[in-house]
Amino acid sequence: MTRLVGAELFKLRTTRTFYGVTGGAIALVVLITVLAAALGDFKHEEHALRGAASIAGLSEVFALVLGILAVTTEFRHGTITPTLLAVPGRTRLVLAKLGAALLAGLALGLACVGLGLGLAAAIFSARGVDTGATSSDVVAFIVGGAVSAALNAALGVGIGALVRNQVGAVIGVLVWGFVLEPLIGIIPGLEDVVPKYGLGGVSNAVAGTGDSGNSLGQLPAGLVLAGYCAIFLAVGIALMRRRDISA
Amino acid sequence: MATIEVHGITKHFGDVHAVEDLSFDVERGHVVGFLGPNGAGKTTTLRMVLGLVNPTAGAATIDGRAYEELDDPARTVGALLDGGMLHPGRTGRNHLRAIAKSAGIDEGRVAELLELVALTDAADRRAGGYSLGMRQRLGLAASLLGDPSVLVLDEPANGLDPQGIRWLRDFLRRLASEGRAVLVSSHVLAEISQIADEVIVINHGRSVAQAPLAELIARGGGGMRVAGPDVGRLREILEADGATVAGEGDIVVRDRTGEQIGRLIAQHQVVVSELAPVGSSLEEVFFELTGATGGPS
Repeated sequence: MTRLVGAELFKLRTTRTFYGVTGGAIALVVLITVLAAALGDFKHEEHALRGAASIAGLSEVFALVLGILAVTTEFRHGTITPTLLAVPGRTRLVLAKLGAALLAGLALGLACVGLGLGLAAAIFSARGVDTGATSSDVVAFIVGGAVSAALNAALGVGIGALVRNQVGAVIGVLVWGFVLEPLIGIIPGLEDVVPKYGLGGVSNAVAGTGDSGNSLGQLPAGLVLAGYCAIFLAVGIALMRRRDISA
Repeated sequence: MATIEVHGITKHFGDVHAVEDLSFDVERGHVVGFLGPNGAGKTTTLRMVLGLVNPTAGAATIDGRAYEELDDPARTVGALLDGGMLHPGRTGRNHLRAIAKSAGIDEGRVAELLELVALTDAADRRAGGYSLGMRQRLGLAASLLGDPSVLVLDEPANGLDPQGIRWLRDFLRRLASEGRAVLVSSHVLAEISQIADEVIVINHGRSVAQAPLAELIARGGGGMRVAGPDVGRLREILEADGATVAGEGDIVVRDRTGEQIGRLIAQHQVVVSELAPVGSSLEEVFFELTGATGGPS
């Protein structure tokens, strides 16, 4: 399995798209963090670093897309055929992709939250803003941000195995995350549930940047997000096993 | 024991009966040609053999096991299937390296095979820029990575230039002579007729013929053509003898050997100017078997 995960990581890093997605995530986080930290008014902010961690949370979306691409690229270009010829066990293949996505997501989350917090801390200290954050806060942000990105990448693998169509899956999750989930959250009776248990809310809660009044703790949120991953992966694997690979 | 065994394999895509109760074997040391018009079910059959398409009924095994149950598939079966199947942004070398990593094959094989298919110079270019022939050669290299004992090739000659086709032909013969089993589909009949020991012809998903190539060619069409001043008389003699005679002027005798006709000619003292076998080609047999016409159907 280690060998297969290695092969999947190799496939990820031998395409330009991978560098586009990861580079885009890091560039965006750095840009927004620098602008916000340099220009924002933090005089009365108690937890200025929390804002920076929240910006680094953008990496979750990119990690989700990365996970989707790990599966759908194979279908888009037909490389699923040589891949399955080398690894005919479809469950094993999806699990190997899951492993690779978790590692890639973890690294991406770590890079984004590490860079974001580091830059923000440097700028705050230069501006004389007291972030008021303890070192345990910082550790919680870093670990939470990395785990949240890793779990989002895992979710992407499940969604990719389920949907297969690359454009459809990517647009689908973006529409869900940025349009549908906020809209459903407006429905009376759901205005507490969706922000708390929806993908966005749970991901933020794992990263430790959730809405403090209505948010799960980091650990329970991590379990909920892992549960979502398990559901999509289980259905995705079941479908993968039944599918005819005819192109 | 046959290496590839296909028993009553059937595939329905909804109402479309792509493959219907097809059975055949491929043995080691043999090149078996898999023929049929476009849409006959060749690719679907090969994909079922390789565990990519799930059969509606029946089963295919390699060395007695289903493809997905093979211990080491890449070292057992090498497959080249029709279609692109390359990530356009990945280099040819990295395409092979990815497969080698997945299959646990030493990466030294990658350079070896790039050399074999003459892609070393292009190996570090993105595969999106490859010509059809280069893609095909890369696919062939991928199929050989594990030095497999069984080869399943779907239209391997596609996109190759005449030189490449000749190379492929010699190469497949050599692989078979090394004791490997080769199952190769094609619609280019001339290619198959030069390399296959046996052929399987399918049409509308059903087998219409399975036989050694020589036997199949002898079976279809053929006959002896006779020309000369007395063929009218010879025709009467042959028909009286119960032979099937066709043609006006020159005649073609279907069910008599040259020797049998020669004896009748001598016995009846008929003058002929020519007595020769009619060249039958795999193409004629193929058209006869599949009921295909000359035009696009």
